[in-house]
Amino acid sequence: MRVTRWRWVARGAVAATVLAGTASCTVASHQEPGQASAAVADALSQAGSAAETTRIVVAQLSRGRLTGPMADTALLDQLRVLDDAETALTTLVPPDTTSSDQRAAGLAAVGDVTDVVVSTREWDAARAGGDLGGAAAVPPSADALLADLEKATGAVDRALALAGGP
Amino acid sequence: MKKVLGVALGILTAIGGFVDIGDLVTNAVVGSRFGLSLVWVVALGVVGICLFASMAGRVAAVSGRATFEIIRERLGPKAAGANLVASFAINLLTLTAEIGGIALALHLVSSVEPRLWIPVAALAVWLVLWRVKFQVMENVAGLMGLLLVGFGVALFLLGPDWGELMRQAVPPSPPSTEHPAAYWYYAVALFGAAMTPYEVFFFSSGAVEERWTAKDLTMNRANVLIGFPLGGLLSVAIAACAAVVLLPAGIEVSSLSQIVLPVAQAGGVLLLALVIIGIVAATFGAALETALSSGYSLAQYLGWSWGKFRRPARAARFHVTMVVAILLGVGILMTSVDPIAVTEMSVVFSAVALPLTYVPILVVANDPQYMGCHVNGRVVNALGTVYLVIVVVAAVAAIPLMIATGAGS
Repeated sequence: MRVTRWRWVARGAVAATVLAGTASCTVASHQEPGQASAAVADALSQAGSAAETTRIVVAQLSRGRLTGPMADTALLDQLRVLDDAETALTTLVPPDTTSSDQRAAGLAAVGDVTDVVVSTREWDAARAGGDLGGAAAVPPSADALLADLEKATGAVDRALALAGGP
Repeated sequence: MKKVLGVALGILTAIGGFVDIGDLVTNAVVGSRFGLSLVWVVALGVVGICLFASMAGRVAAVSGRATFEIIRERLGPKAAGANLVASFAINLLTLTAEIGGIALALHLVSSVEPRLWIPVAALAVWLVLWRVKFQVMENVAGLMGLLLVGFGVALFLLGPDWGELMRQAVPPSPPSTEHPAAYWYYAVALFGAAMTPYEVFFFSSGAVEERWTAKDLTMNRANVLIGFPLGGLLSVAIAACAAVVLLPAGIEVSSLSQIVLPVAQAGGVLLLALVIIGIVAATFGAALETALSSGYSLAQYLGWSWGKFRRPARAARFHVTMVVAILLGVGILMTSVDPIAVTEMSVVFSAVALPLTYVPILVVANDPQYMGCHVNGRVVNALGTVYLVIVVVAAVAAIPLMIATGAGS
């Protein structure tokens, strides 16, 4: 008799755990403003990291301390990071207008960084003698790219400050 | 003279073989987020792996039998079976991470998609396991892994503020920008990376492969007590490079390409090329060791014929186990899972499984029936008991910390 009761208690506990686990996996229909700001700040710090990585890649590539394929791999990795950051922002459900503004600023900043990383890949390909060699859209020099990166990083910092980040 | 050369070779391969993809990734991530404030965990892990690897080597050398054979005999099939399931699963996860690591390193030099390199890496691992002698395999991978010394060279060339690095390390405390739970999560991960269970299975089974006897105990001690701490210094150099270059820039490490950027900055293309060869060798060597450990543990538990000292036809099930483990690893990686994420999981789950590996070794090393006069002394037992507590605490804390911190994010 006691064994049966324990069995029911155990089954109930398992069912409750499964239910709680499943419920926690559902798409959030509502977020607290603080949670939304933290999510925006998280995505922006990823974008900032990608921008800084790109800055080091440009600097080392221009000094001949990195080969074209290695730089290309590093830049591709950063595009994946930026893709994740953009997905995190686009799938966010802002609970109020403040969070919505933070998200919009965040998306714009992530887009700015993405544009520079894409340009850097073109520059890398052009340096390696690819077909992009004469294209007008290819940045002319490492200095131009570093200046673009500076602007994009500034946008990330401003968006981060708006979201209450460090 | 021959003996001295043998000891030197053993030490060098122990240094080169110490770092694997788990050490590489975890140390770089930790260095870029926490500076050197977790360097004490590397020291703790190195002492722990020295303690348990020397015990496992001694058990194998004195008894002439490998760990899992004795575990099953001493603890019975049920307890040993549970141990086998957990160890095999962690081994498989680590093997997956190592094959992914080889593919990532090759991706880095070629810019060719890692998924195209995964089958190539797996085939190369299998071919070496099939055709190459144990000693040649171990020595070549270990010696080439020594090229990771490039991280140490890079650190000196970067000319860091040594005082600042010391301030990060002593007294150890999490940076103000990081949550203490994340700090402790990475402490557990770093501990798991330094004390991966496969190293002990490989070390003890390797002792049987190389036909060690009680006369080889001095060489065993030298390999472990000199080689592993020097290997631990390589781990610290990786973390320090990340702390000097990536931490001030606010870079969050999520790829192998970021881990080697400090090396490029310090030493240019030549040093970078050497370090990448070192990474390929270290991950390749660890892939061989984890694949062998999968075969060793299952074959030793089930009483099959095992070992590379036998021709493959004489240890067919042992070789089939390794092939199946490699194919499973390839299958996991082909799902497009991020190898870096697999690596991070593997080191945390290694920490979870640590007691299952270390408790039986401690028990057997104290059993005079197997060890005769070579049972643990008082000091080793005292240290072993302290480490048992640490290992259990790390294992219990790993999953709650992983959930609480969202895997350290």
